[in-house]
Amino acid sequence: MPSSISSSEAVLELRDLPDAGEDAHAPRETASDRPGVAQPVPQRPVPPQPWNRIALGALALFALLLGGWEAYWRAFGATPGTRNTEKLWANQRRRIDAGEGGATVLVGASRVYFDVQLDVWQKLAGERPIQLAFEGTSPLGFLEDLAADPNFHGRVLVGVAPQVFFTGFAYRGHALKTFQKESPSQRFGQWLSMNTVERTFAFYDPDFALATVLKRQPWPERPGKHAFLDVRKLSVSEPDRATHLWSKVETDLDYREVTRAVWRQEFVPDPDDPPPEKMLEKRREQIARAAKIVATLRERHIPVLFVRPPSGGPFLEYEDRAFPRAETWDALLAATGAPGIHFQDYPELQGGELPEWSHLTHADAEKFTAALYTIVARDFWKKDGAAAATATATDTPAAPPPTAP
Amino acid sequence: MVFNSLTFVVFFACVLVLHNLPLGWTTRKINLLLASYLFYAAWNPPFVILLWISTVVDWYAAQGLVKAQRQSVRHAWMVLSVVANLGMLAYFKYGGFLLDNFAALLHAAGIAYQPAAADIVLPVGISFYTFATMSYTLDVYLRRAKPADNLLDYALFVTFFPHLVAGPIMRPTELVPQFAEPRRASADQLRFGLALMTLGLFNKVVLADSFLAAAAEKVYDSDKVPGLLDAWAGTLAFSGQIFCDFAGYSTTAIGAALCLGFAMPDNFRFPYAAVGFSDFWRRWHITLSSWLRDYLYIPLGGNRHGPRRTYAALLATMLLGGLWHGANWTFVAWGGLHGVYLAAERAAKARFADYRPGPLAFAALGLLTYALINLTWVFFRAKDFGKAWTVLNGMAGLNAEAKPILTTFYLVSVGVIIGCIVATHWWMRARTLESVVARAHPAAIASVWALLAFAIVIAQGSGNAFIYFQF
Repeated sequence: MPSSISSSEAVLELRDLPDAGEDAHAPRETASDRPGVAQPVPQRPVPPQPWNRIALGALALFALLLGGWEAYWRAFGATPGTRNTEKLWANQRRRIDAGEGGATVLVGASRVYFDVQLDVWQKLAGERPIQLAFEGTSPLGFLEDLAADPNFHGRVLVGVAPQVFFTGFAYRGHALKTFQKESPSQRFGQWLSMNTVERTFAFYDPDFALATVLKRQPWPERPGKHAFLDVRKLSVSEPDRATHLWSKVETDLDYREVTRAVWRQEFVPDPDDPPPEKMLEKRREQIARAAKIVATLRERHIPVLFVRPPSGGPFLEYEDRAFPRAETWDALLAATGAPGIHFQDYPELQGGELPEWSHLTHADAEKFTAALYTIVARDFWKKDGAAAATATATDTPAAPPPTAP
Repeated sequence: MVFNSLTFVVFFACVLVLHNLPLGWTTRKINLLLASYLFYAAWNPPFVILLWISTVVDWYAAQGLVKAQRQSVRHAWMVLSVVANLGMLAYFKYGGFLLDNFAALLHAAGIAYQPAAADIVLPVGISFYTFATMSYTLDVYLRRAKPADNLLDYALFVTFFPHLVAGPIMRPTELVPQFAEPRRASADQLRFGLALMTLGLFNKVVLADSFLAAAAEKVYDSDKVPGLLDAWAGTLAFSGQIFCDFAGYSTTAIGAALCLGFAMPDNFRFPYAAVGFSDFWRRWHITLSSWLRDYLYIPLGGNRHGPRRTYAALLATMLLGGLWHGANWTFVAWGGLHGVYLAAERAAKARFADYRPGPLAFAALGLLTYALINLTWVFFRAKDFGKAWTVLNGMAGLNAEAKPILTTFYLVSVGVIIGCIVATHWWMRARTLESVVARAHPAAIASVWALLAFAIVIAQGSGNAFIYFQF
């Protein structure tokens, strides 16, 4: 059909400028060259090449490169395993709305994530908790979500890592949005990933991604801008987020030193840190926020138990210095009225090996879990449930034993 | 679903198998249509209804247009189509924005009004498919195109998954005729299509997501004040990110269509080698700029009614083009700035009609164009005008209190990648990818293909959505 508009209506163009290097392969016309007319069927020529040979050659070289990359990371100590992602977290969070609303839920940062062993807990308790802790992430956002979820009527064990909990830092806080907004294709993609790629390739871990590897090379320091070391791979996870410290941290002294170097950065003040009064204000905010959430959960008869897992060495010294117990842990229990287990109050929770000062070895995490569960079942969440369901710090039946060295 | 996902790999493999089964053409088209609906529903199933509404309204509007005897009736059918499409777009995309601005206007007039939170979820790709369906009705109204022979071909034109959510914005005359005869990709088309998809995904997963996005985020999404180097590095990073993201999507879409035996138009033509802003818009998001030209600028009068009207039409087109990108005044400012650039260039061309730049001046004009384009990206990327001014001040070296933001790694990676992108665009500015591939040694093509695929895999992209999905 003819155009009703003149095709000389070329306006948004600059035809007069010279086009250096024009040759016989000059660009084909596009819609920008044909104003005001019906656009024809596009041309999409295939360059004349032996495409069969090219594709086979590309495939062979790709396989060779990938094989080399995989071999490199296996030699480094990596093995295929579940990728620690926000989608994996969302899978577990979804269980609460899919009939497991009465479960015991673990929230907190990496210490509860790595140190509480689900197998051990299940063996002792007869039920497997839902692991919703996330490294470097304050649990309060996730707790708020649980408090607002009518499907949840279980109980919550809240891990307290002072430098995360009392600053409100939420490295993986976006997981909640992932859970709330995950599309059907993303859920299917997660299932596919877990059942294909993650089971096959050791290199498929965020710590071994190309940009991450390049970023941690020893680049020259830019004046005025210190390049902080990113946290390295520390853990190994199962499909239900049962997680423990990676054996490389336990056995490879060089790698252990790298992980310690990362933590050391936290022990010294950074020029970008907020001023002390802001830090104090933030701390008060987080305690008030926790108190509000616990009050909501208590109204719903959902027991909350705070747990301070062990740390050691320079990390503990830093925490004692920057987050004194009286101003943080004790203040938290007082404000919330909820009970708590501090590792320093229980000899049986102490003495485990902490290779990088912050997380227990796999074997000691199992011992820690057994000891922790025993305390929880004995003093807080008794098997008959109801009596201890609303236990608070003031009506905790057994006073914690004196602090052991 | 997004192209850069495992879900899409499985989906696309199934579609390829289905499309190559020995079935009738109608059956294979139905397969493609159902697959396209599945592709869209994989985000949010209920929004498929919007796609159907858009499809059905324009199908019947075009039928009405053909049957109508009187011009007024034809006009009414056209208006119905435009109102239905723009109404849908206005509600879902601009509902909250309009409410907020209405409340602000009342507040300025001293009237306290607090609208209820709109909480409207933006259906992915709505801006793209409403423009595609509108072009169908408008082309029939303007007698540029005949309506499709059957609803299946038309529905497939609207829904065909490679272009559905982020273009290239197809015109009916480009795609509907391709559904008339049975199509299957030849072996060479399939392989070249897969190579194009690899190239597109490399742009997106490796360059845009893995390297450039983080640098732009550190400058634009932090509360730190950037200095000269950081402001430019963050903005250049974004210029590369948005190109690699969007051109990557287009290239992947073109490759996917080619694997099925269909041809889709170029959407980018090495835009960072543009000399002048009209040249830029002939190279950047070509299918949108030509859509705006054909259905907005020309109907507004184009250049047929004297300079004043031309400038007004130009500005109005670019302002609305800016608003098309997002419900925020920063996008309007981005479009407005481009409108001013185009108007200034037009005036300069009229004033210096005989000027022909030499090679050095030509290159300098090209760099000036790129620098000025980067200024517009500040408004596109910044979440509000406050941040935009802070970054612009930084780019002018006026932020005295600035402290370094980006580490050496980011500065080097942005410098290397952007340098390579701009150099490639200049080398390719008068060439096509096909012409370069045609002259390359097969071993070189195979090596590059393998390296791109390897980089995609080891980059371990997290399936981030393409930037233009939000538009």
